[in-house]
Amino acid sequence: MVADLIESIVKILFIFGVNIGFFSPILGWVERKQSALMQDRVGANRADIFGYTLIGLFHPIADAIKVLTKEDFIPDGADRLIHTLAPFISLTPAIVAFAVIPFGGQYELFGHRVNLIIADLDVGLLFVFAFASLASFGAVLAGWSSNNNWSFLGGLRASAQMLSYEVVMGLNIIGVIMVYGTLRLSEIGAMQVNFFDWGIFLQPVGFVLFFTCAIAENKRAPFDVAEAESELVAGYFTEYSGLKFVMFWMGEFLEIVTIGGLVTTMFFGAWHLPFVSDQMLLNFFRFAGPNGAAILAILVNIITFFTKVIFFIWLQMTIRWTLPRFRYDQVMRLGWKMFLPIALINIFITGLVILVK
Amino acid sequence: MADINIIHNYPKMGIPMGKLKPKRVRKNIELTLWERLYIFEIIRGMHITTIHFFLNLLGFIFPPKGKKRRIMTVYYPEEKLTLPVAYRGRPVLVMRENGTEKCVACGLCEKICPASAITIIAEEKENGERFPAAYTLDMARCVYCGYCEEVCPKEAIVMSAEYEGLARRNRQNLRFSKDKLLRPEKSVKDRIEYIRGIYAKCNY
Amino acid sequence: MQLLMFYIFSLGAVLSATLMVTNIKPVTAAMNLIMTMFFLAGLYVLLDAHLIAALQIIVYAGAIMVLFLFVILLLNIHEKEGETARRKVIIQFGSIAIVGSLFIAMAKLSAIDPLMIKAVDPAFGTTKSVGKLLYTDYLLPFEIASFLLLAAIVGAVILAKRRIDDSE
Repeated sequence: MVADLIESIVKILFIFGVNIGFFSPILGWVERKQSALMQDRVGANRADIFGYTLIGLFHPIADAIKVLTKEDFIPDGADRLIHTLAPFISLTPAIVAFAVIPFGGQYELFGHRVNLIIADLDVGLLFVFAFASLASFGAVLAGWSSNNNWSFLGGLRASAQMLSYEVVMGLNIIGVIMVYGTLRLSEIGAMQVNFFDWGIFLQPVGFVLFFTCAIAENKRAPFDVAEAESELVAGYFTEYSGLKFVMFWMGEFLEIVTIGGLVTTMFFGAWHLPFVSDQMLLNFFRFAGPNGAAILAILVNIITFFTKVIFFIWLQMTIRWTLPRFRYDQVMRLGWKMFLPIALINIFITGLVILVK
Repeated sequence: MADINIIHNYPKMGIPMGKLKPKRVRKNIELTLWERLYIFEIIRGMHITTIHFFLNLLGFIFPPKGKKRRIMTVYYPEEKLTLPVAYRGRPVLVMRENGTEKCVACGLCEKICPASAITIIAEEKENGERFPAAYTLDMARCVYCGYCEEVCPKEAIVMSAEYEGLARRNRQNLRFSKDKLLRPEKSVKDRIEYIRGIYAKCNY
Repeated sequence: MQLLMFYIFSLGAVLSATLMVTNIKPVTAAMNLIMTMFFLAGLYVLLDAHLIAALQIIVYAGAIMVLFLFVILLLNIHEKEGETARRKVIIQFGSIAIVGSLFIAMAKLSAIDPLMIKAVDPAFGTTKSVGKLLYTDYLLPFEIASFLLLAAIVGAVILAKRRIDDSE
């Protein structure tokens, strides 16, 4: 019982540390620096401590100080409660969804079975979807409560867009669920030991659609019509400042990480190295004793998983800084008239293949 | 004639005229099926940006020596551009070698200044020479038009290449007096020669 | 522990449902309805029905309530309209409360035998068991429900299409 508690606390602290302590501040820097490099610019490199700029890595700290000292502004005529609540609503799902994403296999450590996932739910994937669908409330309520036309239009766009893409995303997932026969993400991960069982080989169309829909769900370019700065100032968070604005920002970045984790888990072999199973890792690290081997294997798992996640973060950033924004009607047409039929056909073909096998 | 030569000596930039073909503006572009599939064109676009990203990342980690850098952004306080002579920075008074100003306080610049930035109090020496007892240039009002330089009969006020130190917290600090405006003739020699060239044809 | 959670969830559900009915602002009412859905999902989790809980959040809180909000925002319902309807709502709410208390009294009369309650089997409420039940014992209702949904979709398409034709 105590061991279980310690295990849970360590895992939760680890994920919190990685997400909030590492990814959310560092991704702001990554986005600036990567976009700069892609566009032949230099990027942020001015914030310094005692003259050391450290390629701009102090900018997150400078940003944090700036944000914390800013005025927390609620516009006249706004709904104070909902205006304050909306950033929390949009930030929470991004953090919570990571609870069901496994970042390693199951190991025997000091006579205690360690499962490297915070909550191994039977409905893991549905849990992710439940919370992803809640993220749209943040945008909608922020847009409504700001008492501003730009925000309002942004909120409307966000609600319609997220609703549409959720449908398609759900249908994409059905293909994955059919192939692996389970909703439990740890089982989906464990089934991808064999390199050619990775989701990308079994569901290539599903991967492309899921990734696109996930970006659309996250409202990043090329699907950022809800916060289109050339049309709607800043969309649904026009009237936000200071810490609340940063919460939207953090929510977006954490969702990038969550999408990376989901894609890795479902399509790219979760924590597995290609052609290497957990048992092989344990055998390889035999020299360190049973516990040492387990710890080393866990480390390898975590590093592999987060390397893949970082790759997908990089990919999302590249897409965001490469493609221009779609027009709003194009976004909706893409969702309903192209992705939905393709997803349905994908399900149909997957079903046929399973039936033939 | 001199003007024509200047045009010919100008460094070649951009696409040579011979290679430029008149392009038809394509409205309502019909996309081919390949383009309408999106994904391959997206991959092509991302290929380009990825190449840029990695090349720049390499240049970032191992910076190439000299001017071969791909990123042309100037790191401003550390690096500064050498400005062309035609650049109109803040106006300065030209100083003779003995430390006095060339200005004879004729008041032409004061008169022509469109922003009324210049104030001159003229005085006379014992030998009859006029000189400005106080020459105040309000940099908060100056519009960098260069009329003062153009109108000056003695080449006493020229537009220098200086552009720093012009942001102050108090407007009083932007009223530059004579000692702040004086610059030795050597430092603005290029500009003086340049204005001789461009204003010579006007025959003042 | 479980009993405490049950009371928290049920109290929350009843409270937010009450607020939903009595609130003037449509958006606040919708928010309270979402809260109700959440507490209900919590109750389902307490009953070991994780799948139903997840579906409750996805379908009701995630999809339907976003549509509700979308419509509320799009139509821009004003508070005044709500004010005129408030008295009516109070009357309706009162009558509902009376009927509800009657039901509670009836339930009290037929006291539940505590021995009837027994531990559920571990497979209960999992996706697999629900799926199996849907496709064996309840196949006909399931198919009828899906047919109804299809009819609704077709109907929606036809309604929307006719309007486009009219405008042209």
